[in-house]
Amino acid sequence: MQSLWERLLERLESEYEEQDILTWLKPLQVTGRDGRLSLLAPNAFVLDVVRERFLTRIEAVARHLAGNDVQVGLEVGSSPRAADQQRGAAASPGTPSLPFDPEFESNLDAHYTFENFVEGKSNELGRAAAYQVALNPGRRESNPLLLYGGTGLGKTHLMYAAGNLMRRNNPGFRVLYQRSEQFVSAMIRALQTKTIDEFKNRYRSVDALLIDDIQFFANKDRTQEEFFHTFNALFESNQQIILTCDRYPKEVENLEPRLTSRLGWGLPVAIEPPDFETRAAILLRKAELKGIVLPEEVAFMIARRMRSHVRDLEGALNTLAARAHFTGRAITTEFAQEALRDLLTVQERTLSIPNIQRVTADYYQLRVSDLLGKRRTRQLARARQTAMALTKELTSHSLPEIGDAFGGRDHTTVLHACRLITELRETDGKTREDWDKLIRALTG
Amino acid sequence: MSNRQLPLALRFPQGARFDRYVADGNEATLAALRAFAAKPAPPGVLLAGASGTGKTHLVMAVAGAASGYALLPLAELGDRVESAIAATRASALVLIDDIDAIAGRHAAEVAMFDLFNRTRDAGGALLISAPGAVPRLALGLPDLASRLASLSLLQLQPLGDDARRRVIHERGAARGMDVGDDVLDFLFRRYPRDLGALLDLLDRLDRETLVRQRRLTVQLVRDVIRNEGE
Repeated sequence: MQSLWERLLERLESEYEEQDILTWLKPLQVTGRDGRLSLLAPNAFVLDVVRERFLTRIEAVARHLAGNDVQVGLEVGSSPRAADQQRGAAASPGTPSLPFDPEFESNLDAHYTFENFVEGKSNELGRAAAYQVALNPGRRESNPLLLYGGTGLGKTHLMYAAGNLMRRNNPGFRVLYQRSEQFVSAMIRALQTKTIDEFKNRYRSVDALLIDDIQFFANKDRTQEEFFHTFNALFESNQQIILTCDRYPKEVENLEPRLTSRLGWGLPVAIEPPDFETRAAILLRKAELKGIVLPEEVAFMIARRMRSHVRDLEGALNTLAARAHFTGRAITTEFAQEALRDLLTVQERTLSIPNIQRVTADYYQLRVSDLLGKRRTRQLARARQTAMALTKELTSHSLPEIGDAFGGRDHTTVLHACRLITELRETDGKTREDWDKLIRALTG
Repeated sequence: MSNRQLPLALRFPQGARFDRYVADGNEATLAALRAFAAKPAPPGVLLAGASGTGKTHLVMAVAGAASGYALLPLAELGDRVESAIAATRASALVLIDDIDAIAGRHAAEVAMFDLFNRTRDAGGALLISAPGAVPRLALGLPDLASRLASLSLLQLQPLGDDARRRVIHERGAARGMDVGDDVLDFLFRRYPRDLGALLDLLDRLDRETLVRQRRLTVQLVRDVIRNEGE
């Protein structure tokens, strides 16, 4: 049947656009014998399109090639051989079976550990909290552990690391990691198949439940409700819960208040964008792990000019490695500037002094001219100091340069602003919140 | 939009193979893609280039060289794009053409974020084509943008004049048209930069020469453009 399908495809290739062949027909798999050609579509969507647009023609050509008795079947599925190749893909969540299928443990990616987490000022609190929780899971004062902060800063890494450490210390410990979408689709499937009780049992019988990116629960009322009850059940019996979110949960729109307030019960820890030293360390560490020869000065150049998140750095490194491999050139500063030109220029534009001034002024609903002017109301002064501190943090301009750009101020004024804002970020919630939001707006 | 037949795929040429891609300055990118097609390495590749640099051609070439993949031409899927993404299972190789087609469409972006994660969990790799690097894509979902940023960026530079003339000439020849120098001169004056638009026009000219039973001349090109303008 395989050869019949190959001849058939060859014929159809002259009749349809190549994109149609490649998108819809070539991904079909073939099984069948005894005069029956069974085509397996990878999913219901492809099945619909093939049935709608090609099936009549496939049947006609099949009869032409193999005689009138041949039968053509079309269904969703994959042949055993291909299924083997993608066994990982089959480990989809929410298979409603009890007791625990061993598959759920594979949800934890063993590659992510505390040992290969690059620590810096921006994430040391988060690391310490995750480590403590992993050593002493289920304690009231740190349940739930909530790691929050922008995307690509290492929250998931810490979550995996905590899960892996719990299991290393206690191999029988049942740790379930899921992305929030997996939780949602498992719940929907349970509702459809009327197995909601199994669903509840499944989630409530773990020793630790790790849910990633709970901001995606927004607007999903039934999911929130189900999660709320799961949460309470786990919390009451001192099972550890670890969650990540892309911002402080109260800032997520359309999350239920009773849920967000509960998320704040335990230990919420912010993960901040990495500082220069940490970015450089991450680059060098990842290069070493991947066997890429990355000179320090290139790592410093990239760390200085790319400031948003860790995945950016990872992408930059992958890009450099691929390009070096296929051009046969060594990775030098010049080579890196050329290969990453597009990424670097965009970052630089958003991080220019005028742009930082504009974004800060917008945030505080002021005009840029107010920031640069002489007036010194309390509100204006704070906004101006924040903008100067942001410029110091996000660019490589010197203090005198920053002073000049802010209406010709002295460099000691800039220094004072930086120190003051650093201090207020520790002691004043509002300053801290403003700072985080502005950093996110400028580097997001 | 809603009654649109699926997919239109009019502009795609037959025979999109690696060896028919006019590299001309993009040799390293081409070599990297050939290697990727032979052995898709996770997390994968973001293939970025302006309109007419041959992104679709190369995505199709990877599909042609690979076995066992899923291919989603997002711009062709219309309002069914979200269900198509959601239905796609993770596999060893997931090919996404025109990611910008879903930029700003929240539900589709979330579905793509999920597909990205599922593919990574399954140990698979992605090839995603886009008009530029991630910061230029106007994606609404930071989570998706940051996932895309972790891919290796392969950039296609626009072709030079000579190479673009060669592409048009070869595409015409593949369709049985002889595109003469006078016609080429006229076309390039009219569409100085956008090779994609020019290839679209060439496809329409192909149909017109068949319908009208005429050879391809400057006069015919003028007529077609004037009729379309009306």
